Amino acid sequence: MAAPVVFAASAPLPPPYAGIYQPQGVDEAGWWREDDESERSLAASPLVIRDEKLTAYVKKVLCKTVGNDRCNSVRVYIIREPTFNASMSPNGTLRVFSGLLLRVRSEAELGGVLGHEFGHFERRHTLQHFRSARSGTDMLAWATVLASIAVAASPHSAYAIRDNYHDLQLSVYGNIYRHGRDQEREADHLGISYLNNSSLRPQAFSVVWQNFMAETEASARVRGLQKPNFKAIAFTASHPPDAERAGYLAELAAPEGAGRDEGADRYREALATWLPVFLDDQIKLNDFGGSEFIIESLAQNGWTAGLWFARGELYRTRGNQRDLVNAADFYSRATALDGSMADAFRGLGLSLMKIGQRTEGQAALKTYLKLKPDAGDAKLIGMMVPKEEVVK
Amino acid sequence: MTRKISNFVVGAFAVALALASSSAHAHKLRKQGERVAVAKEAFFVTPTRDWNELSISAGKNDENWSLDGRQLNDVTFFGGIPAGSPLVRETSSKNDPLPKFGANTLIVEVPELLEGTYRTAKKSGSFQVLSTEPGTFLGHDGVIFTYQFSDEDSLTRKGEARAAIISGKLYMMTFDAPRLNYFDKLVGEFRALADSAGLK
Repeated sequence: MAAPVVFAASAPLPPPYAGIYQPQGVDEAGWWREDDESERSLAASPLVIRDEKLTAYVKKVLCKTVGNDRCNSVRVYIIREPTFNASMSPNGTLRVFSGLLLRVRSEAELGGVLGHEFGHFERRHTLQHFRSARSGTDMLAWATVLASIAVAASPHSAYAIRDNYHDLQLSVYGNIYRHGRDQEREADHLGISYLNNSSLRPQAFSVVWQNFMAETEASARVRGLQKPNFKAIAFTASHPPDAERAGYLAELAAPEGAGRDEGADRYREALATWLPVFLDDQIKLNDFGGSEFIIESLAQNGWTAGLWFARGELYRTRGNQRDLVNAADFYSRATALDGSMADAFRGLGLSLMKIGQRTEGQAALKTYLKLKPDAGDAKLIGMMVPKEEVVK
Repeated sequence: MTRKISNFVVGAFAVALALASSSAHAHKLRKQGERVAVAKEAFFVTPTRDWNELSISAGKNDENWSLDGRQLNDVTFFGGIPAGSPLVRETSSKNDPLPKFGANTLIVEVPELLEGTYRTAKKSGSFQVLSTEPGTFLGHDGVIFTYQFSDEDSLTRKGEARAAIISGKLYMMTFDAPRLNYFDKLVGEFRALADSAGLK
């Protein structure tokens, strides 16, 4: 009955699923042993978000993208870390950072990134690189010894040396996890072909890269950097977000899939309880340009009280006088939309007091205390209000 | 090629050992009952037990003390952070800017300032302020707050801090230690140290 599906000519069909895989040979067996150990500590880590519903939802999006057979070989861990990142290790551990969930807008976009990581896993790209990178880990062992001696030695530069060592560790591991250009392309092709075969809109994958490039550029502009340093970001160091990539991903997306659902509404609903938390984590990173870009792109579907509040927090945290005026405006919009949002009244009160509008500020703080009488800082805010009144 | 690498390693060892021998004065003992100036003589404390002053400090206006090493217990003295400065040393003002203490920062915002600093400087993915109470520090009205965070080593730590803004500068003492065992064991020692703090 169903018409045969025609896929874009240059995107290969996914390979037939090979079933449960066991490591073969000494290199791979050793690599898996390390990986199993790493997964054990990950499973106990306080950074993992233990929300069964959210984890099950992310797994469902992966299954929707790569198919149920394939996704059974994967364990998903959502890590509370506000950077754009996801990685899949050889034994089938998928690490999804909360920063990725904050940045993608639909099931199709998330599926594209997860499918790409799954592509590396299915083709066992990590193993190929591990073999070529063993000399790199020997170097790391020496660096550990030297760094610890130097820390003991130098009274003032210990912070810097620890950082350098840390960078070295990241860069050596980065090399292990960094895939060659050909492997990247292969994973991209697989990612897009999973999407082409799924019920999701494959054109969304290219949008992820376009948005992320725009965010990184916005972030660099505010910092006064001429060009964004993609190598300084863990994920983009190994996944260069270049225009070529966004281009070929768009071309490979099956044209007949353009009418499919992206699952944006379902995605928003699934993330609803976590979005304020992830936004808060992002704002506290001091990345003004990047955070502003994320808030504005989330607001494309309409400004909510939560988004106005987040923007208020962002501006109040930077704290220039002009920022405080804007922050007060954003908080007022939040409270106008949701009169029960206690924290927005707090931000409004503090911002107004700092720009000299004490009476109004105190009124907002009083509302905060009324709405949230057992707030952690209730006593301190409570003291501020009458004290300021006495001064007046 | 192999010989070149081993020459490099031997050379690097020699440099590291030379550095080690040049600074035998790594840490200083701060003795019980002896009043001592901390954080560039910003204020004074009288320890109720022996502490080690570490040879490293988190920032220009800071000083760090510990009993068993920074990872296990870390007292940081922030001695008069001026407006426009971060709490700890910035590794890169462009790539990893830290939040700054501002002339208009309110005392109730100090916990947020520490949170933003830890999230960037310690790469702490989760940080939670547990309580914020009014209190006195160095004889001035200020704030006492507690918090919990995990940084890159995935160990959950607890912290307690006292802060006051005096003549436009931020004075603060923080105590961080792993939640398991170390925090509860030593928080009393920190409180005694903070109680003894005075400007003169």
